[in-house]
Amino acid sequence: MFDLSSTVSKVVFGLLLGLIGLFLFFPLYWLAISSVKSNAELYSIVPTPFPLAPTLTHFVTALTTGKLPMYLFNSLVASGASAALNTLLALYAGYSFAKYRFAGRQPVMLFMLSAQMFPFGLLLISIYPLMSEIGLLDTRTGLILSYIVFALPVSTYMLYSYFSQVPDELIEAARADGASDLRIFHTIVIPISIPPIVTVFLYSFMWSWNDLLYSMTLIVSDEKRTIGPGLLLTYLNEVNSDWGGAMAASLLASAPIVAAFLFLQRYFIQGVTAGAVK
Amino acid sequence: MARLELHQIRKSFGNIDVLKGIDLTVEDGEFTAFVGPSGCGKSTLLRLICGLDEITSGQMMIDGQVVNDVPPAKRGLAMVFQSYALYPHMSVADNMGYALKLGGTPREEIRRRVEAAAKVLRISDYVDRKPRQLSGGQRQRVAIGRAIVREPKIFLFDEPLSNLDAALRVEMRIEIARMKERLGTTMIYVTHDQIEAMTLADKIVVLNAGRVEQIGSPLDLYNAPANRFVAGFIGSPRMNFLSVQEQRLEGGRARVHGGLVSLNTLPPEAPSEIGVRPEHLELCAPGSSNALNGTIVMTEHLGSDTYAYVGLEGTDEMIVVRLDGERSIRQGEHVGVSVNPDAVHVFSADGRTLVSAKPMARNAA
Repeated sequence: MFDLSSTVSKVVFGLLLGLIGLFLFFPLYWLAISSVKSNAELYSIVPTPFPLAPTLTHFVTALTTGKLPMYLFNSLVASGASAALNTLLALYAGYSFAKYRFAGRQPVMLFMLSAQMFPFGLLLISIYPLMSEIGLLDTRTGLILSYIVFALPVSTYMLYSYFSQVPDELIEAARADGASDLRIFHTIVIPISIPPIVTVFLYSFMWSWNDLLYSMTLIVSDEKRTIGPGLLLTYLNEVNSDWGGAMAASLLASAPIVAAFLFLQRYFIQGVTAGAVK
Repeated sequence: MARLELHQIRKSFGNIDVLKGIDLTVEDGEFTAFVGPSGCGKSTLLRLICGLDEITSGQMMIDGQVVNDVPPAKRGLAMVFQSYALYPHMSVADNMGYALKLGGTPREEIRRRVEAAAKVLRISDYVDRKPRQLSGGQRQRVAIGRAIVREPKIFLFDEPLSNLDAALRVEMRIEIARMKERLGTTMIYVTHDQIEAMTLADKIVVLNAGRVEQIGSPLDLYNAPANRFVAGFIGSPRMNFLSVQEQRLEGGRARVHGGLVSLNTLPPEAPSEIGVRPEHLELCAPGSSNALNGTIVMTEHLGSDTYAYVGLEGTDEMIVVRLDGERSIRQGEHVGVSVNPDAVHVFSADGRTLVSAKPMARNAA
């Protein structure tokens, strides 16, 4: 075996990590610098590695002339609502799977997770006529519900795993103190489960925010369109050549997720349950 | 203050019978300890009393009222959990006041009772802290405080000291003993540590494999164990057991490895084993009359006492002899072990006590 602390291995590992980093971040870097380059610079024969004269024109144009704000708003509504509803449902479902013993618990859990085995596109084939049948095609409600279909199994499983680790004695102590089952869940279990709840919320929010296929298929009217198809239809068509605008809009579309992660990262820090038992 | 009665309490989990018919009365103000090896059902019994698990069959009464179907909070009990089970997101004060808040006690009253309990347990300085900011001993006090503020009829303790280090355990044991004196409330205490049971309890219930082996005061159990199991479980170091080699007694003496042991009281049937506590044995010169012969295998010096492990002649069996702390003996030394006939317990093949020893001072032989 080679020695990880040797200089040679440090150099090799450093180079490898650097390469992976470059591979991952170069497109992002290019996106960022392209969004602040002028059109003249963007179309120069030899690409410039740094913007020569940074400008915010593309951002201003994207936000003022196009429909980007509307798409962003639509995405916020669809993603926010589906994430909230999904988290709420996953909370109760995950807790009941984790802490109650009832007939069919395991089969139901497996059945739910089996939904994950099918490709998204495949399920769309059955969701589309269903939405059409119940009149939810081209509605925000329909889009939100279809997002939940995909996020809920994994979300439930994530919370189930967490709740399984909540000590039974904590719940029993609350029962002995006279709290009802719902009260225990609301006043004891949820307050100590903020980190996983935030994780699940972000997971399902991202899921719907990044979606292209479902929104593209289920939403027809432009005023309900979300950011994914919005960006695609605005910038990636045969006649468009506004690359600067596309880059600026893409950055703007990524901003909410990045902001949410930065804002909520403290909840990912573990140790909130320390001191409960032992 | 309350009297607890259990009649033929059974508990099964699926096909497994964990408790096989427990009859027990805990008198008002009595401190009762449940002891027994792991898996004997002592914690299960406590959980049934608390109401956390349902009784499979049998009847449980508190102050003459059947409480089989009464939910935990309505039974007027408070339980201290082994793991403390403090609510990690609540301050110490909120932890202690949670049950009262649920019960609709006025805020001012809750504050008063929490403060009083905190003062008694010397945790007044910590009431605004979260459990994770407390040491193990402080958490244990909070867990006890949470029980005290409810002013329960019966306190239930589920191995409350087992997570503490040795020194703290002794300290908290004294604390609980003082609490028992001050409050005078009925208390039920589960432990696998027989020293805790012996020092705290008015009454000890020895459980084994879902049955009650014996109920009695600590000294009753020590002096007159009802069977071999209790004899081996109560007392530290445990009682020495010597298998009887010949069923027929030789002039009132039983043959065991290493020699003959005189019995003052003849057993009504053939003995299978005799038992003598380490503190009722004494070393003497090898070959003495009424003594067993053996070799010193090992000694343990505890300061106050010395334990000598003596390998008896003709067997791998070892017996422990408790000696004065200053006594020094060489390993490998040939010794005699004299047995006081009054200190001998005699057991039948199925483990019943045939003859109990007479209560006596240690090393009286």
